Amino acid sequence: MTNHWIDIRNSDYILAMGSNPVKNHPISYKWITKAVENGGTLISVDPCFTATSNKAQIYAPLRSGTDIAFLGGMIKYILDNDLYFKEYVRDYTNAAFLVDPGFKLPGDGDGVFSGLEGIKTEEGYVDAKYDKTTWAYQKDEKGIIKKDKTFKDPHCVYQLLKKHYSRYTPEKVSDITGTPPDKLLAVYSAYAKSGAPDKSGTVLYAMGWTQHTVGVQNIRAMSIIQLLLGNMGMPGGGVNAMRGESNVQGSTDHGLLFHILPGYLKTPRAAQQTFADYNAAYTPKSNDPLSANWWSNYPKYSASILRAFYGPKLSLDESYRYLPKLDTGPDYSWLTVFDQMYQDKFKGFFAWGQNPACSGANSNKTRHAMGKLEWLVNVNLFDNETASFWKGPDMDPAKIKTEVFLLPCAASFEKEGSISNSGRWMQWRYKAASPPGQALPDGDIVNELMSRVKTLYQTQKGVFPDPILKLSWDYGPKNAAGQVKHIEPHLVAREINGYFLEDTTIKDKVYKRGTLVPNFTMLSDTGATSSGNWLYCGSYNEEGNMAERRQKDDPSGIGLYANWAWSWPLNRRILYNRAAVDVNGKPWAPRKRVIEWQAETWKGDVPDGGWPPLAAAGKGRYPFIMQVEGHGSLFGPGMADGPFPEHYEPFESPLGANPLSPQFINPVLVRFDRISPSKNVNRRATNNSGFPIVCTTYRVTEHWQTGVMTRWQPWLAEMEPGLFVEISTELAELKNIRNGEKIMVHSARGSLEAIAMVTVRWQPFTVAGKTVHQVGMPYHYGWSTTAGRKYGAKDKKPEVFTFGDSANLITPNIGDPNTMIPESKAFMVDIVKKA
Amino acid sequence: MERMTLVIDVAKCTGCRSCQVACKNWNQLKGEQTENRGSHENPPDLSANTWNRVVFVESRDANGKIDMTFISDRCRHCEDPPCLEIGQSVPGAVVQDDSGAVIFGKKTREMDFDDLTSNCPYDIPRKNEATGRISKCTMCNDRVSNGLQPACVKACPSGALQFGPRQEMLRFASGRIEALGGDANLYPGEEHNVLWVLPESSRKYPLAQAPTGWKNYRVA
Repeated sequence: MTNHWIDIRNSDYILAMGSNPVKNHPISYKWITKAVENGGTLISVDPCFTATSNKAQIYAPLRSGTDIAFLGGMIKYILDNDLYFKEYVRDYTNAAFLVDPGFKLPGDGDGVFSGLEGIKTEEGYVDAKYDKTTWAYQKDEKGIIKKDKTFKDPHCVYQLLKKHYSRYTPEKVSDITGTPPDKLLAVYSAYAKSGAPDKSGTVLYAMGWTQHTVGVQNIRAMSIIQLLLGNMGMPGGGVNAMRGESNVQGSTDHGLLFHILPGYLKTPRAAQQTFADYNAAYTPKSNDPLSANWWSNYPKYSASILRAFYGPKLSLDESYRYLPKLDTGPDYSWLTVFDQMYQDKFKGFFAWGQNPACSGANSNKTRHAMGKLEWLVNVNLFDNETASFWKGPDMDPAKIKTEVFLLPCAASFEKEGSISNSGRWMQWRYKAASPPGQALPDGDIVNELMSRVKTLYQTQKGVFPDPILKLSWDYGPKNAAGQVKHIEPHLVAREINGYFLEDTTIKDKVYKRGTLVPNFTMLSDTGATSSGNWLYCGSYNEEGNMAERRQKDDPSGIGLYANWAWSWPLNRRILYNRAAVDVNGKPWAPRKRVIEWQAETWKGDVPDGGWPPLAAAGKGRYPFIMQVEGHGSLFGPGMADGPFPEHYEPFESPLGANPLSPQFINPVLVRFDRISPSKNVNRRATNNSGFPIVCTTYRVTEHWQTGVMTRWQPWLAEMEPGLFVEISTELAELKNIRNGEKIMVHSARGSLEAIAMVTVRWQPFTVAGKTVHQVGMPYHYGWSTTAGRKYGAKDKKPEVFTFGDSANLITPNIGDPNTMIPESKAFMVDIVKKA
Repeated sequence: MERMTLVIDVAKCTGCRSCQVACKNWNQLKGEQTENRGSHENPPDLSANTWNRVVFVESRDANGKIDMTFISDRCRHCEDPPCLEIGQSVPGAVVQDDSGAVIFGKKTREMDFDDLTSNCPYDIPRKNEATGRISKCTMCNDRVSNGLQPACVKACPSGALQFGPRQEMLRFASGRIEALGGDANLYPGEEHNVLWVLPESSRKYPLAQAPTGWKNYRVA
């Protein structure tokens, strides 16, 4: 979230799209309620009439996978009706930037941007990649981007944006999305009102936007709207991802994904052989003196993380040499990893705190891939479909050689530590109970593993032992052999914050060696400081653990609660808040002030940098400090699939062609159904009469992720006891299916048995002149808690059995080209009454 | 202790069922083996192990307008409870405490179930076939008498459940009815300590209607 949960109450217009906050983020609804009681409007856009739609003042349906068309129409509406926030767009976004005259839009040709190189097929381009040369900005002799603040130049971003979305007429959008035109207009006209300077609108999204082959561009489309309406940085504004787990934010901040280290630093690639190469590759340069270009500090953060990893005794160059480096080229995402595993390229696999047998798209493939391993370690609270994959449906235990270890771990309540919520608040949690039996906190399992690996390297050597042997590991009391006995969470938190490694004088103040660094502006690129994650620098200082703070006062009056826990970065509660004020530092919305320039200083929230406001000649800075050029990106050349979002059909579509252009699906997808030797299990069925129904997946309030923690819980299991498919009364009639009957759901990849839930909440769409039906199902189930499985004599049985298996048995393993998140939200199925 | 009242503000309920789980958690009631019957609503009925159950109602009107309503069904804790009257046959089986909570004790095992349930206009009492004990919502009198809110109220995230001194709650309910306007009304009537603020006429919901002269109500 750019903002935070409580801040939703400050919103005038709340768009819930790609999410169902009432069901899936129930506490958010508390703050939505407060906003609505204050006169706010809740807008719900969803393929299904959800519990959120039920509470909304405006509801519009759309076919899954057509959000860009819907939002593109809104961009056109805002521009056509001149409803954008003029000063904000002119001064704070890149609307005035001039783009290379060679740049071409999809509407200029065959539905793709200039620079695409790939194979042309009847569906348009496939296996393609963009050469982004023409996506660059025009620059003057000083290397500063040329701008036209009158927006008259045909190559300025504003004109390109207007031209690009001129194709997204209400008729065309309705033809693609299936949304009736009057509903489109209702949403557009309501939300566009948030463009008034003193109003703000927020978007609450979740996996309904991300899990698409155009997932990132869905969010880009909304970011463009938020910039046009001046909602970024505003209380009650922002682009707000409601995370699917309480600590997904924290784990992402700390480098969970393959391409990032903690603090969103980049994972080194093999081409960057030296620390200097690495820093040069990721430290952006701007020639504009008014751009803060915050990432120019990259070498300070990378040096500090190396110090946290390897301590002050090694040189930074040597420490960098020890970091693992990815091959330049391939990605190491989930989908690729499991494709490689399926091809027998892995020996072993740690499935840590996860249940890939149910959580991975195309789970049949995932389950069979694990059967090709020599060993599998699953760290989890309970037995689950991954640890027991070898005795699951369609498995022959006699033929599976994988040795499986299930390590029991402590639940969140059984250990101390921090979690970071969606609003970036780092909150400390205390241990409530001891873990049962042999279960250990994850940190202690890692510690034990590390200790043994280290011993192996010490006794048996190895090819490259130093990265392991020299790693800093000062996380708790040590035994006689020098091994850490158990992990002390406070020491980890302190290392994440970082220390001064030598006596340092900053602004006449001396910081002694060994003291905690007060904040990341004091981190050094010479190796004089450590910090395990620069974003969290300041979270644990000489005054104590900021995440433990529990003061309930709110002098801001807008719910910042600055003394409750701690928010990254620097305890800033609303990101980009310098955009919430005019160039003189006065709030656009005085009644909900986040910051204000008064008497030569900023009042309110921690500002996005302490410089004076933009109007202060030469001293001010542009508000979007994380962008190289300091401006909000209407034009986003960093994307793999285009600088503006463009509608492409989902990987599996009910249509034979894209109603908008000759390019059928996103041209730069990594197509496992084409490139992989395992393509026979990566099947696709698009525009296929055998699979004519659009299907999406979602969650229910009562279950959590793959259900490992909830399907064993009798009070939850009894409420949602099994897999269901929600279908419209119209489709039920067509298929001769009655409510509550057992049906089969088939996709190109698998089949599932489920209960038909016939409901008026789903309705058919009229798309490209034809009737398109859509169904939806939850993904939480798995065979291990069903009455039907074979239980051994010693197996624990659930008190209340659930029914059904994971919806991921039928989802496609195709990913967004920027993130590789799978398209679980729009794919094709058929349903039939069970014989 | 003064009279306490629980108000269920139906317009604010989101159907999250936190109240249903919180009830089972506090009162340590077992889960039931259920099946999906083509609805999210489960368990299918109140039982000795389910004292509070959220009923799901969905509809689409002639104009295509869809509505979902969630009703928490549970004991109404009548001011003048017929079950208390019939319960006098076994002293201590049914009691009403100062707060107004009507509580079924262990001695309900000695009562005739049909006799008890046929005196309830709202079909609330349920018998545990194994122990013979008859049970229902206690209004969490063990919590309330210790200064806590009922478990369901504590768990409610949307403000749909409110609990407090009777007069305060009656004022709250009438304020909500005024704010909702239209056909909004109080169900089943002021002579209860669990009150529903219904946005529309009570006949639109699957709720038992208390007949006129209900105090002398007997199921035929």
